[in-house]
Amino acid sequence: MAKILIVDDSRTSRKILRNILEEAGNEVVAEGVDGADGVEKFKEFKPDITTLDITMPVMDGLEALKNIKAIDSNAKIIMITAAGQQNKMLDAIKHGASEFVTKPFEADAVIKLIEKLS
Amino acid sequence: MINRLFGNYLVKAGKLSSTQLESAFEEQKKARVKLGLIAVSEKLMTPEQAKKVNRKQAMLDKRFGDIAVDMGYLTEEQVTRLLGLQGNPYLTFAQAISDLGFMSISEIEKALGDYQKENGFTLTDMEALKSGDSDRIVPLFMTPDADDLMIEHISIAVRTMIRLVDSDIYIGNATNLSTVKAFGYALQTLDGDTKASLGFTGIEDSLLEIANPFAGEEFTTVDADALDSVAEFINCVNGMFATKVASRVNIDMLPPQYKAEDVIFNANNICVLPIYIKGKKVNLLATFGEALEV
Repeated sequence: MAKILIVDDSRTSRKILRNILEEAGNEVVAEGVDGADGVEKFKEFKPDITTLDITMPVMDGLEALKNIKAIDSNAKIIMITAAGQQNKMLDAIKHGASEFVTKPFEADAVIKLIEKLS
Repeated sequence: MINRLFGNYLVKAGKLSSTQLESAFEEQKKARVKLGLIAVSEKLMTPEQAKKVNRKQAMLDKRFGDIAVDMGYLTEEQVTRLLGLQGNPYLTFAQAISDLGFMSISEIEKALGDYQKENGFTLTDMEALKSGDSDRIVPLFMTPDADDLMIEHISIAVRTMIRLVDSDIYIGNATNLSTVKAFGYALQTLDGDTKASLGFTGIEDSLLEIANPFAGEEFTTVDADALDSVAEFINCVNGMFATKVASRVNIDMLPPQYKAEDVIFNANNICVLPIYIKGKKVNLLATFGEALEV
């Protein structure tokens, strides 16, 4: 079981992801509604794994990734992307993202990644 | 889609009553089986393989048969044979009307000819409609000056709706406007080599017909949560579009926007495509070469 922080501006996406993670026995310790909120929640909750949506207002997922990695270089981050964001995925790899998940979510794939990182 | 379009025509022309039409749809549903199920019953795929293809299909803008071929489960020839077994959507609809004794096959054929004439469709257009392939159907409903990439964008949206929202949707003729007024919307703009926007507005609570099946929720009002679901649906469509056109146009997605309030949209050329879901109408709004401004 992993302690997970979900950062996504979409309530729908947060809820779908939370359901998948909790059904597999993980604990969602907090949710962030944009990148800046996600960074704050990361400091506060110190999760095992953080999921970061790439496209978000205020601070996007890439900026949040850089900020979180500056706080903890060992932080395990899964980037959440819609299809069609290959360039941003490459950027995220450069900045230390551990894995990727593409929307719409495929439950089995998400759980496999969580197990791999736990 | 042809069953809904032609069925509505038959009611309008006084050939069928609304109740008869609904019975025909029910009868047709019994006859139309999903390709995966046919593949499994023909012992060409295992249920587990069909499930894997279904999962992949939820993420990719591809048909079941194409994915099954990519994954090495089926050959092209097998897919062609299975599609034949599945039945042409027009034929299964015509069969249902005839089986129920509402119209004879020759009466249906004559009415189809009248429908073709009334809409100015060519024989090729009619073949496209009968095929059920949204890539071939959507262009028939667009305005003549619509950009090819915009048509591609809208085709992906319609196909994704058929797959993730409701398999029984149908569309009406698109119009070009420079101003659109609505209550409640979800919208996302793509920016890069060019700009494009894709959005949805509804009539009363019609956007719930997208929001609920997509999020697996039971929203009862078009509020921020319901619109967030519609916005996520648009985000998925735009992701598929950006991937598909990546070799031709480099575009990235801006954060989706939505609001449950009165709005006015402005652009030089807004393509408004009516889409009917479970008897309710939503409007798909699309621009290409410019962003849709709220």
